[in-house]
Amino acid sequence: MLDLRLPSGLFFAITGVLLLGVSFSNPHAPMTDANVDLYAGAAMLAFGLALLGLARWNSRT
Amino acid sequence: MSLSPVDYVILILYFLFVLGIGWRLRKSVTSAGEFLTAGHAVPVWITSLAFLAANLGAQEVVGMCASGAKYGIMTSHFYWLGAIPAMIFVGVFMMPFYYGSKARSVPEYLRMRFDEKTRGLNAITFAIMTVFSSGISMYALAKMFNLVLGWNFNNSIVLSGAIVLAYTYLGGLTSAIYNEVLQFFLIVIGFSPLAILSVHRAGGWGGIQQRLPDVMTHAWKYVGHADQNPMGVEAFGLVAGLGFVLSFGYWCTDFLVIQRAMAANSMSAARRTPLIAAFPKMIMPFIVILPGIAALALTKMGSGYALPPKGAGYDYDQALTTLMAQFYPSGMLGVGLTALMASFMSGMAGNVTAFNTVFTYDIYQSYIRPHASDKHYLTVGRVTTVAGVLLSIATAYLAAQFNDIMDFLQLVFGFVNAPLFATFLLGMFWKRATGHGAFVGLLSGTTAAALTHGLTVAEGKGGWIANVHDFPSQMAQNFWIAIFAWTTCFLVTIVVSLATTAPAESQLRGLVYGFTDLPREEGVRWYLRPAPLAIVVAVALVFLNLIFL
Repeated sequence: MLDLRLPSGLFFAITGVLLLGVSFSNPHAPMTDANVDLYAGAAMLAFGLALLGLARWNSRT
Repeated sequence: MSLSPVDYVILILYFLFVLGIGWRLRKSVTSAGEFLTAGHAVPVWITSLAFLAANLGAQEVVGMCASGAKYGIMTSHFYWLGAIPAMIFVGVFMMPFYYGSKARSVPEYLRMRFDEKTRGLNAITFAIMTVFSSGISMYALAKMFNLVLGWNFNNSIVLSGAIVLAYTYLGGLTSAIYNEVLQFFLIVIGFSPLAILSVHRAGGWGGIQQRLPDVMTHAWKYVGHADQNPMGVEAFGLVAGLGFVLSFGYWCTDFLVIQRAMAANSMSAARRTPLIAAFPKMIMPFIVILPGIAALALTKMGSGYALPPKGAGYDYDQALTTLMAQFYPSGMLGVGLTALMASFMSGMAGNVTAFNTVFTYDIYQSYIRPHASDKHYLTVGRVTTVAGVLLSIATAYLAAQFNDIMDFLQLVFGFVNAPLFATFLLGMFWKRATGHGAFVGLLSGTTAAALTHGLTVAEGKGGWIANVHDFPSQMAQNFWIAIFAWTTCFLVTIVVSLATTAPAESQLRGLVYGFTDLPREEGVRWYLRPAPLAIVVAVALVFLNLIFL
């Protein structure tokens, strides 16, 4: 059976990288000064890598 | 609101992943059982998140945010008073009968416990309800995308329907469940930043409390009388109507969610599924309701954000999308809209997979062709999946033609669902309940619901027989309709059961409390046992209610 952590982890890692990529050029949203793409992208990348790590650890044990 | 290329890239990436999961799982589907019931082989963490995600449709997410803006933190009663206690009950007390009976669906359990006519009534009403729910949800999503993004209504319907069809057709229930987990992650990650940003901008919870009337930030303080709160409900109607009948009726008997738990790989996993799901469910109000409350606070403080006006008030349904437009830059906006699309897809796939199972096993195999090969039922399951999506699309266009049909159907759903919990409660915990009692009780409960609606009026709705009582809100009317329907079904089932022949005790093995061997749990670690998990959930629930007392 497919280990769901692999596709989920890959999806969030790629999306995180995309957000990090645009975070340096995008203007801020009208109602906030925070760089939302930067923080959300970093969080998604970390989450995606954690899922991928868990999947890899699971396949070894 | 306009999208940039990166937003479209994220949306397309998501579509590719959900289709990829369906494609990858297609090889594991070789029998009707694997297609329709996932072969009872899904790990518990996946069934738990799918149990939750199947209920997290777009209407739920958008609607709860709107209710947060309209009713304040009282909206959390749908979670902390309604859903969570019901999830504890189904996990601890009801799942041993669902899973232990080896029934493939909720209607099939009714046949095993009662008789064919009770199963038939439940199967047919459930099949119709799931198709209409799916279609109405599809209509609401396409309309919202048309309004917010200017997307073509027809294209939105065809695209979303085609993608759900593709992955459910390829991988069946397993594919739907696996995608629901991805969708759950996306919903949480896509909407959490909105809650943080909007509440922070409104000055935190303290700032919101200062700017809004006290009633909007207290869940229990103003339920002493219906006139005191914006929901127009008093404590008894709230606790009995929402907390007991409607919530237990949905979470304990609706095959859409029960199916996810029944797909688990063991009895223990099936029982823990709703209990584990209760933890993220408890947190959902912070993600979907708080932004709505913050939207109202931001509107009151003249921050530059305002809820769109509608008549003399606000268009609360646009709270979520307008907040996204103001707080999300391109990139994150794509994630948010993808999360909205994901919530729609998880809801629709849930409906379609429940529909194909009930139709194939409880209608086709029971009444049309009983003794065909497994391969034949696999084909029927796949064809029913296509038919379910096509019927949903047809219903979406029906809803577009007749606006009132949405209100009407949601009302009818309430008429049918409310008494069902009484039937299950008596069926599982009272050995004397009979098939005739259950059938007449269900019909009587539904009739009582219709009569209550016909004799009462709320916000101009109802009263089509006479007006003997006015409710302050439609929500109060719905809660009381549920109370009358449940009570009628409960009493009529008891009376008719006592007047008819009792079922033989040999027929009740594995189906009724006292005739079922409950799983032994000696030596099992505490967090793998349902009872200790339920206690932890209950303590957390009391804590949350006290915080927002």
